[in-house]
Amino acid sequence: MDNGSHRLFSLGRLAAIAGNTFTGLTRLKIFYVLLLFALLLIGSSVFMAQMTFQQEFQVLKDIGLGAMSLFTSLLAIIATARLLPRDIEDRTAYTVLAKPVSRFEYLSGKLLGVLALLGLSLVAMSALFFLVLALREQSVLSETSRQMSAAPAEQLAEALRLVRASAFNPNLFSGVAVIYAKGCLLAALTLFVSTFATSTIFTTIVMAFVYFIGHLQPIAREYWLQSSAAGWFTKTFLALVALLFPDLQAFNLADDVVAGNAVPAAFLSKTLALGVFYTGFYLALAWAAFFRKEL
Amino acid sequence: MTELPRGSGAKATPAVALNGVTKIFPVPFQRRSVVAVRDLNLEVPRGEIYGLLGPNGSGKSTTLKIILGLATPTHGEARIFGRESASVASRESVGFLPESPYFYKFLTGEETLRFYGKLCGLRGANLRNRVDKILAVVGLTSARDRRLAGYSKGMLQRIGLAQAIIQEPALLVLDEPTAGVDPAGAREIRDLILALKERGITVLLSSHLLGQVQEICDRVGILANGVLVREGALRDLLGVENQTQFVVEGASPELLDEIETVARRSGARVLERGSPRTSLEQLFLETTEDSEQKRDG
Repeated sequence: MDNGSHRLFSLGRLAAIAGNTFTGLTRLKIFYVLLLFALLLIGSSVFMAQMTFQQEFQVLKDIGLGAMSLFTSLLAIIATARLLPRDIEDRTAYTVLAKPVSRFEYLSGKLLGVLALLGLSLVAMSALFFLVLALREQSVLSETSRQMSAAPAEQLAEALRLVRASAFNPNLFSGVAVIYAKGCLLAALTLFVSTFATSTIFTTIVMAFVYFIGHLQPIAREYWLQSSAAGWFTKTFLALVALLFPDLQAFNLADDVVAGNAVPAAFLSKTLALGVFYTGFYLALAWAAFFRKEL
Repeated sequence: MTELPRGSGAKATPAVALNGVTKIFPVPFQRRSVVAVRDLNLEVPRGEIYGLLGPNGSGKSTTLKIILGLATPTHGEARIFGRESASVASRESVGFLPESPYFYKFLTGEETLRFYGKLCGLRGANLRNRVDKILAVVGLTSARDRRLAGYSKGMLQRIGLAQAIIQEPALLVLDEPTAGVDPAGAREIRDLILALKERGITVLLSSHLLGQVQEICDRVGILANGVLVREGALRDLLGVENQTQFVVEGASPELLDEIETVARRSGARVLERGSPRTSLEQLFLETTEDSEQKRDG
């Protein structure tokens, strides 16, 4: 095996660790409980509104995307927080890192496993969400056709077009993609925190704070930077906060998507690029913290 | 078998070499620090079983972690077959079983070995064959599809040993390999270690079960408070000069008296005479095996 040319990075090793992490997470009961809860919420949203069809679709999309965003974020934090502390406590990290596996491969494999889990659960939630939306759309379409059976054909066609436009638009995919990007960055940040945390609970609590600061950060930053009283210390502090804490508000496209506003491709690309940057940045921080960690 | 690093003097390169290794752990929020290992010089020759002995907290596990690159020495250097322990490449030729490992309980025995095999670069048919072979070697073929959550302590130790040798390493590092295992399981593990030595694998193990170490090790080093206080070949350390022991079977009391008289006449002193005792471990094994045979029969 050893021919003196050890590869610093191997996709095979990365895939083995990612696959193992994914398998471990999918065999956890908490994953199914969370997923079931999210699916129930999305599924039951169909019964929550008895209003005009525009309002009904709006509420349905609001609840659906909201549930997907919340549960993806929750899953990203809970699933990642336990990975490193558990491995170190059980000494399984020793057995993995005593093999020809670099610490970067170990960390990125773990993260990749979580991202695969987030992808899978988001696919499941999206499938149900689109199914619920399609079923309601069909129901409203047939009801509209029945009610307007006596109306002129052009008027009926216009009414049906309106129903379709209210129910489904391609921006929904953009919304789902941004939710995934947010989940990825939260998972990477949780991994970073867990490299120096001593327990799963500590990591989860820290991430709960980060989650709220991340959503409030743009408001606070704007307020302080606009204030003429802000001195160099405050500005430096806020610059550090802006760099270390992700701007989670930037990943809230749900309002626009629900309202049916168009999400420009450039804006979507920028948001997704921001998610990729944050994920890579936090992975790099995690590696820097874990590289020389005494196990 | 793992191909070892070659080059000038490769034959003379020891499996493990520690030169002036010191490990100091700072105590958080305090000015003092703890010296876990102090100026340790140690060599493990190839093909031998080396036992690192010492009481709890003597620095055995820290030493093993430094050898495996899991901890960094504060001073000095550690090498495996001439390569720096800190380099990932040095671990191509190493297998490690930590003390009381848990492994991933959600995996079956077979999945566990497949996972560790992939980390060592094994793939496809090669990996399948290796997994089958190693499961047979450690006697877990019948439990290959059971999740580790259902394994006994002894079975976990054996699957631990299996993952350590999955790539057939040239060096095997074992931290308390028989800790918590019953005597029958401990004997199986001991026999496995001896079989691995027969195949040319160097074994470095830490233990405080002195009887077992004495049975299998070629050399031992004794650590106390992080310092290597004694080191050498076992027979040199344990042999008592000017004394000889021989065990005779079927000798009458008259013959024994005669031997004793001859010895005295020639100026020697007979220090002890009596029936050799079996070890408590041997007694335990024989008794439990008899009991099992009666129950099955």
